[in-house]
Amino acid sequence: MANELAAISVELASVTARAGQAVTAVHARPRFSSSGVLWRPGVIVTAEHTIRREEDITVTLPGGNTVPATLAGSDAGTDIAVLRVEAEGPPLAMAGEPAPGDLALAIGRSQDSGVNATLGIVSAVSGAWRTWRGGRLDRYIRLDLTLYPGSSGGLVVNVAGEALGMATSALSRIAGLAIPAATIDRVLDEILATGRVARGYLGVGLQPVDLPGHRKGLIVLSVGEDGPAARAGVLIGDILISLDGAGVSDTEDIQHVLDAHAIGRSVEAVVIRGGESRKLPVTIGERPRRD
Amino acid sequence: MRGFGQVTEQLRRSTVQVSSGGRRAFGSGVVWSPDGLILTNAHVARHGAALVELWDGRSFPARVMARDPRRDLAALRIAAADLEPAAPGDSAAVRPGELVIAVGSPLGFAGALSTGVVHSVGAIPGMGSQSWIRADVRLAPGNSGGPLADAHGRVIGINTAILNGLGIAAPVNEAAAFLARGPRPSLGVTLSPVSLGLAILEVDPGSAAEAASLRPGDVLLISLEALGKALDSGREALRLPFLRGDGARVRETMVRLEARAVAA
Repeated sequence: MANELAAISVELASVTARAGQAVTAVHARPRFSSSGVLWRPGVIVTAEHTIRREEDITVTLPGGNTVPATLAGSDAGTDIAVLRVEAEGPPLAMAGEPAPGDLALAIGRSQDSGVNATLGIVSAVSGAWRTWRGGRLDRYIRLDLTLYPGSSGGLVVNVAGEALGMATSALSRIAGLAIPAATIDRVLDEILATGRVARGYLGVGLQPVDLPGHRKGLIVLSVGEDGPAARAGVLIGDILISLDGAGVSDTEDIQHVLDAHAIGRSVEAVVIRGGESRKLPVTIGERPRRD
Repeated sequence: MRGFGQVTEQLRRSTVQVSSGGRRAFGSGVVWSPDGLILTNAHVARHGAALVELWDGRSFPARVMARDPRRDLAALRIAAADLEPAAPGDSAAVRPGELVIAVGSPLGFAGALSTGVVHSVGAIPGMGSQSWIRADVRLAPGNSGGPLADAHGRVIGINTAILNGLGIAAPVNEAAAFLARGPRPSLGVTLSPVSLGLAILEVDPGSAAEAASLRPGDVLLISLEALGKALDSGREALRLPFLRGDGARVRETMVRLEARAVAA
């Protein structure tokens, strides 16, 4: 009674079992555990939004035993948290460029029932994308599959079992995303080196406005107390038209400049105040930690 | 080679709609034998009688033969012949990630099909010590009692509940055990876990525990998990060590468990 459907079914179950060898359960919040991926020897990546405590974190390994883990650091912007644990998984095979329509499995784990899987497709792929939490993903990989409580932090693989990234339900309201491997590697390196991901900061609240002559700018609505902008003499009501030599018309333009320059560097801001333009040197600061 | 359409059509013919209790409350069921044995959920067949509608529109009054509320299973009997029974699979061999097909009457739409994959297999907190199949498949009220099948169309579970969006199915091996041995036997006691084992708080009149001379206050020297396994084992009698009074010595009793086959 063998049929093609049965062959596909066997293949999906085999991919799940294989990929599951790199997937752990993570116990760092009440009620629901989440999932994590043994990304490198001794290192688990998981979804930052599922980490609700910094101590007494444990993980259930693919073998079934539950061991303590320590939080090495996290980045809310990209929803990545890094745990250190005395364990290692099989080497992860990385997928090439995903395409919309590719079948994808989200592999998770829970203590009670072991490995788990959901099936769907990659529904959209585009270039670098900024999350609503301010982080930058190297690719936007939208998933058309159901992420249940506990799925976040799990491994997203294609039907060959190659990693597309880590599953998260927290970065988009309309769909689950796969945080791409390139982003995980980049954030992981920075967290392992410094314990955190530093983000550039000006300390201003901005709103796009139209200027005469079809030009655009960003009006300063608030200035953070003792922030980099305040120290540079920026005032509420100033209209920012250029930063580091490039015109700015959207807050995304500001993020580009902040991404491109190391903290501590000085850039030139051009503002319009009282109908006249002024040049103000601003030293990029580091965004204060939310906690 | 059988195509997807044939697999699902076969499954549809082995799926029935079950209504019980008068109001327009529909569940589903699985045809288990050509001569009218139907498997469904205990919560679908709440009363002694139900109405079963076949895939071809014929409907029959059904008698509820047995119910096991703990496993949420019920066996119905209709006076029909030459039905097309479902092919049972082996739920012990189910693996996460494998394809599944659910048929039932979600929201009253008879014969509706949904597909997905097995999410995981294991115990569910708050749903006893037994194992359940969780499926990443879209179910709705009315799927209850209907089949969850593998890619061959073999029934691996009975769709029972929806939990956090996941379909929960009783493994078909549990259902086969229920049909072979009747409802899971029970001691007929109320228990409370203590450090040594399980303290008996109450003993139901006429229960197996009463027949075995167990009394409130006795402490059974067994874990809840081990007791559940022993009750599931199909054995007709259990030897249970327990403490009474000051606990100076370990006593022992033999509990006779009622075994009633349904599928004879």
